[in-house]
Order: sequence, then C-alpha cells, then structure tokens
Amino acid sequence: MSTITINQAAGQARPRPGAVARRLAGAEFLKVRKRRGLVALTALLTVGAVVLAGGVLAILHAADPAKYGPAGGLGNLANAGFIVSSLGAVAAVLVGATMGAGDVQAGVFRDMVATGRSRLALFTARIPGGLALLWPLVTVAWATACTGSVLLAGSLSRPGVALMIEGGLWVLLAATVAYLMALGLASLAGSRSAIVGILLAWQFALTPLALGAAKLGVLREGLLTAGLDRMIPAGLLPGARPDPVSATMPIAVGVAVIAAWAVVPLVAGAWRTCTRDA
Amino acid sequence: MRELEAGQRVPASGYAVETTGLTKRFGDRTAVDRVDLRVPAGTAFGYLGPNGAGKTTLIRMLLGLTRADAGSMRLLGYPVPAQRAAALLRVGAMAEEPRFLDHLTGRENLRINAAAREPEAAGQIEAALERVGLRERAGERVARYSTGMRQRLGVARCLLADPHLLILDEPTNGLDPAGVVEFRAMIATLVAEGRTVMLSSHLLDEVEKICDSAAIVDRGRVVAQGPVSELSAEGSRSVVAQVSDPGRALRVLTGHPAARSVSEDGQRVRVALGAVTGDQARLAAADINRRLVEHDVDVWRLDLPAATLEERFLQVTHKMQEEVAA
Repeated sequence: MSTITINQAAGQARPRPGAVARRLAGAEFLKVRKRRGLVALTALLTVGAVVLAGGVLAILHAADPAKYGPAGGLGNLANAGFIVSSLGAVAAVLVGATMGAGDVQAGVFRDMVATGRSRLALFTARIPGGLALLWPLVTVAWATACTGSVLLAGSLSRPGVALMIEGGLWVLLAATVAYLMALGLASLAGSRSAIVGILLAWQFALTPLALGAAKLGVLREGLLTAGLDRMIPAGLLPGARPDPVSATMPIAVGVAVIAAWAVVPLVAGAWRTCTRDA
Repeated sequence: MRELEAGQRVPASGYAVETTGLTKRFGDRTAVDRVDLRVPAGTAFGYLGPNGAGKTTLIRMLLGLTRADAGSMRLLGYPVPAQRAAALLRVGAMAEEPRFLDHLTGRENLRINAAAREPEAAGQIEAALERVGLRERAGERVARYSTGMRQRLGVARCLLADPHLLILDEPTNGLDPAGVVEFRAMIATLVAEGRTVMLSSHLLDEVEKICDSAAIVDRGRVVAQGPVSELSAEGSRSVVAQVSDPGRALRVLTGHPAARSVSEDGQRVRVALGAVTGDQARLAAADINRRLVEHDVDVWRLDLPAATLEERFLQVTHKMQEEVAA
C-alpha cells in the first residue's frame, strides 16, 4: 500500500455554487434540447400554432376580403394571446414533466446522486434547464404574433409596443407556471405520462367546469386559471376569453394564487427528490 | 480534521471503506445485517455473494442512494452521510447495471455526469473514453450501444472523478471474453496507480483472478473476510479417485475418519475432507489410496485439487444455510 500524489486538486474545496449551478443547468438543457420529438412538439405548439392560425386567417382574407377581415390588428393579437397561453401551457407541461421525471425513469438519477452533489442542487438545476428551451419558443411565438398583428393589420387598429410587451410577459408567466407545476409534480410522482395526463385533464376539462360551478363561490378564485386571467393585459381581454371569476378578483389574490400553484408543487417535488431512494 | 489530504489516496486509517454494524431492513427482511467491512486502500477488494445476498444494497448505502437503518460507515476516511459530498468527491461508482439517457450520445452522457462533479471532470471525458476503448463510438447515441458497450461507458463514467476509490457492481456483466480480460488488466492498472477498487460480484472466478482480498456475504451478513489466498486456503479440500470399482470404493471409504462425505460419479469417487491443511489433505489422500488397494480396488488416478475460493464460498454459504434452517 502506498501514498501516491497524482492530482493536486484532490480534497480541495468545491467551486462556487453559482458556477456549479450554471454547469448543472447547462446539463439539464442538453438533456431536453436533444429530445428531438419533444422539441419539435414544443415548437409546434407555440410557434407553429401562431404561424398556422395567422396563415389561415391571411389566406381567408386574401381569398374573400369582404367576408374575412385582415389577419392582423389588435383583436387578432388578443386571439393569438389566447392560443399562445393555452398551447404554450400544454408545451410547458410536456417539458416540465419530462424534466421532473426523466432522470428517475431513465435510471440515471442514482448516478447523479452518487457524484456527491446535493439532491436539492440537482433538482433546482431542472428549473432553468427546461425554461431555457421553453422561454425562447414562447417568446418567438409571441413575437411572431405581434409582427403579424402589425404587418397584417390592414384597416384594423394596431397594438402598441407596451401592450405587446405586457402580453409577452403574460404568456411567459402562463407557460412558466405550468412548467413549474409539471416539474414539481413529476418530480414528486416520478412519472412523466401520469402527470401530463392529470395536468391536461385538470387544466382543460376540470378547471372550466369548476369555474362555471357557481356553488363553489369564492373558492373558484383559488384556481390557477382565475389567477392567470386576472393578470391578462387589459388590451388583450376581448380575445383572451377571461373567466367570469377573475374579473372581480383583487390583483393581490391573483398574484398569491399563481405563486401558490407554482411554489407548492415545486416544494413537494424538491422534498421527494431529496428523500427518495435513488 | 480531514482524513484525506490534498493529493493523497490513502486515508489515515489505511482503509478506503469502513463499515461498522451496518444494517438495512426492508419491512421484515434484513437485506444487510450488521456488516463490519474493512476495504484496504490501494487494493482490489472483492465483495462476493450469491444473488440477493445484499451486495447492491450495501453499495447503495455507501453512495447515499438509500439510508442505513443502523451502523456507521466511512468512505476514504470521511463519515457518510455526514460528509457525503467530500467522501464522494473522489469516488467513482457503478451501482447495479449502468443506465444512461438513451437519446444522448455516450460522450454527452459523460458530460451530464461531469457537470455534477468538479470542473476538472469535463477534461477527463476523452481520457476516460480512451481508457475503456469507446472513443471511436462515443459520438453515437447510447440507444445503439450493446450491453458490453454500456458496461464500458459505465466504467468511463466512474473514471471522471479521477477516483481514489472505485465501487463496481457486477462490472463484467455483458462483456465478451476478450472484454473481460481487458477489464481485468484495467483493474490491475488502476490498483497499480494507487487506487482502491471494490468489486461486487457473484462470479467467484472473477474475484479470485482480480482481487487481493475479499469478503464473502450471504443473507446480508459477512461470513468470511480476508486476503483471497487465505480465504481459498481455508476452503474445504477433496480427494478425487478414478477407480476400477466405484461401488466397492464407495463402501470402503464411507466412514473414513477424514471424510465429511463420499460420493460416486461414473468411474470416479470424490471424498470431501472438510477444512483441513495441505499436509492433512496429503496424508488423507495417501491413506485413501492405501485402503482402496488393500480392498482390491485398482486406483487409476488420484487427484488432490488445489483449494479454491469457490469451495470456501460454498462451504461458508452452505453453513449459513444450515444455521438458518436450524
């Protein structure tokens, strides 16, 4: 048995947390951007949906201008806001669930834990890793919608820059909350498909029913959709189809509801990541 | 006080892995039962046991993948889990079959793992791939890899840590014979560099050929531990005689004072001697030969096979089974 000096770095302190977090987030982004099917689907649900909707409207207007108005303008930007927020949330759920459960389902989580890196750091890196894919696509989708709304406005009123920025922040908020919720719940459950199914059913089937159930009264203000709808920029309200509950909601309640829907699943997911057998 | 100073591969205690009373239960079943293990630093150590003996569970506890119910453990001198991060900094581990993200290439999978380690780990990727003979194929998606290639990539992942301690769980699974030989050579090189290799396996031959020392585990308990040469020497011996009349030989030798059991196999008779020294075995063989000849049984050939780890393994695990049955 002998003592051999080969690497002087051995036993030295680990690098600053910020540098580690950047490397881990970069690794998470690598994982998700290489999933070609998921990237294509996310692009389709965001940029693709806007281009398709705008393209159809432009073709209809070109074919029969008397019957179909221009594809741009303020009203159509509001419609695009509804499309991007809804389908962007679907894309966010797909990406978030993949980020949350991907390592566990592939069996590589144990190898990451065996590096000695804290489980919380591994979990936290998933947040920017997935958003690095999601945010650019949602932003491009909204930018495309804004560009179309100006260039194809024809005789219709054009949206202002402030509204475009506010609308962009709102669709990003909707996608981000959906992403964080899916990430947290998938990390908690360790299953991608189950969480995708549950969240889509909740968001598109159960939530509209709950919002319409007057008997639930003020409880409906606790639904994520109500909170998000409360944040819709006023200029986009006509096309964004807000639910009836959000109109009377105090804005502080809206903020609290959104924060709760994002933070509670995240905390649950972080707890499970830190305690599960790897 | 850190036990492993900069550049040093051997902790102050001289052991790379130390466990005391380590226990893990799953409901009523005790998977790891009060295990006291000492893995000398700078050696190849075999952790040997039948399937389901608790080998993987012990490794998972060492790596912090699952919690121990009782006992204590130290890796490279650091208490685990109290200083788990410092302990695992220089540990490369392959627990169970290596798993990867199939949609990424081999090189990308290593990049993912390196990101969780020190910055220097990324610089080890090409050398690690070269070392396991995968550099040419590292740009292919892992989904296309054979079992053997995945095994090699798993070892490459371990090497990213510039490990002082490698913990490998059934590392030769899926390797072809040439791959196994290469693997043995690689382990020898790693040990020669001053690293410690802890090898969990149910393959006795593999441990005997690769390891300097070993522990035999059965039903969660370490039932024997020490240098492989000593463990083998402690194994039960037998005398194998090829004779003209096996039936008569069986009758003559049944009840022989040195025999634990006598069995017939075609023209051969095997006399199990139990745990005896080499001299005792030779004396017994001579006496068996004399008795057979005295009873008009022609002895065509008489063998006294060298004691093997396999015999020792079967002896201690058999004894354990008898104890459990009792």
